Amino acid sequence: MKFRNILLVIILTGFSLNANAQWKKNKANKDTKIWRYDLECEGIAKQGSKLVKVWSYSKNPKHAISRGMKNAVHGIVFKGYAGGGQGCTSLKPLVKSAETETKFKEFFDKFFADGGEYLKYVSAATDGSIAPGDRLKISRREYKIGVIVNIQFDQLRKRLESEGIIKGLTAGF
Amino acid sequence: MKKSILLGIAFLFVSVIVFGQAKKPTLMVVPSDVWCNQNGYMINYDDQGTLVKVPDYKRAFQENAEVIQVISHINGMMAERGFPLKNMESVIKTLNSNAAEDNLRTSKSSGSGISESPIDAFKKVAKADIIMQLTWTVNKTGPKKSITFNLQGLDAYTDKQIATAVGTGDPSFSAELPVLLNEAVLAHIDGFNDQLMTHFEDLFENGREIIVRIQKWDDWDGDLETEFDDEELGIIIEDWLADNTVKGRFSTTDMTENMALFEQVRIPLYNDKNRAIDARRYVRGLSKFLKNAPYNIPNKLVMKGLGRATIILGGK
Repeated sequence: MKFRNILLVIILTGFSLNANAQWKKNKANKDTKIWRYDLECEGIAKQGSKLVKVWSYSKNPKHAISRGMKNAVHGIVFKGYAGGGQGCTSLKPLVKSAETETKFKEFFDKFFADGGEYLKYVSAATDGSIAPGDRLKISRREYKIGVIVNIQFDQLRKRLESEGIIKGLTAGF
Repeated sequence: MKKSILLGIAFLFVSVIVFGQAKKPTLMVVPSDVWCNQNGYMINYDDQGTLVKVPDYKRAFQENAEVIQVISHINGMMAERGFPLKNMESVIKTLNSNAAEDNLRTSKSSGSGISESPIDAFKKVAKADIIMQLTWTVNKTGPKKSITFNLQGLDAYTDKQIATAVGTGDPSFSAELPVLLNEAVLAHIDGFNDQLMTHFEDLFENGREIIVRIQKWDDWDGDLETEFDDEELGIIIEDWLADNTVKGRFSTTDMTENMALFEQVRIPLYNDKNRAIDARRYVRGLSKFLKNAPYNIPNKLVMKGLGRATIILGGK
């Protein structure tokens, strides 16, 4: 009897932990789904890379941090950025038309899925630590968190070229 | 039988791949006249009383390490995108060694030298389809240094600026000039390539842009107002251009009885055999058209640069 109760408690605890993790994941995904973020150049990176700061919004600061990488890759692919300090110049997005995004929806859904391929092209530039000035509480229930990441820009561009999503400079020659 | 059909299909496929590609433009970085002047790489000569200054590229490449560094960096980044640049320093060396060889070469049988007209000698310069004109200046504010960088992509066919990357980097107390130059190249090259891509897309959609001039020899008894079947020669040439340009695009900039100038002539990238064509091959078509009946006008086709062709009517 006693053993059965213990087993029941363990199963219930495990289930609730799993449900909680799933809820958190869904919440983070919901926050990211609308792709609400700001991207800014953070300086001149080494050849083939872009150093960017991505500002993500969420009610939970942890979600904003975890989604920063995904947002940064999304931003380089679809938004680009407008110059900035530290010698930065503006960068146009790799995918320039909204039609392309719709046409290759299946690819991008898979690419930006949790644990998706996007992770190959991004790495944290500051060991994941957030500067005090980059953790802003913008309303009673919302945070804006700035994360600095390094994007493997040339590799990402080549990947999209190989999929036929964007054209290479030599296309047609 | 089946084998030969398969072979035929394979041959056709290969032909389409080989010929169905436009001629890849060549690119070359050239230090601008301003940069050469500011850094003392100019040659002065007296042209009938007027002092003329021309850039001394050879000396610039031999004496300035920074220009080599910037060109090498740009070359590396362009090669990564599939567009290795023509290296101007090497082109100049090759031109010089070719000239020296040509001067020494004589025919084994007759002892004759290589024939070269003054025009041929004048045309022996470094050429590329797209010139990347490079300028940078070092700005100093107290101990701080910054670089103003300007890279212009100039279409050698039309002299139009097709891409640009210009800006001033962040001032620095400690960074060395080569570091600042490297940063400037890194900061600007992607934007430059983006504009280059837009130019290529336009080229594929609307054709390559060239300039066509028509002139006549003094001793020819006809001119552009000579009529054939009630139509003036100038109008006949315009009609040919309208029929043979992409979407009928060209502008008649000038037309007199002795000369005509057509600009923004958009030529197709491939001919009817799906082979890549350039300005010379295209204007050859007009030359033949005028040479054949009913016009029977002998003419000479002269190329200037890569995208300017002149047809001189009345003889070779």
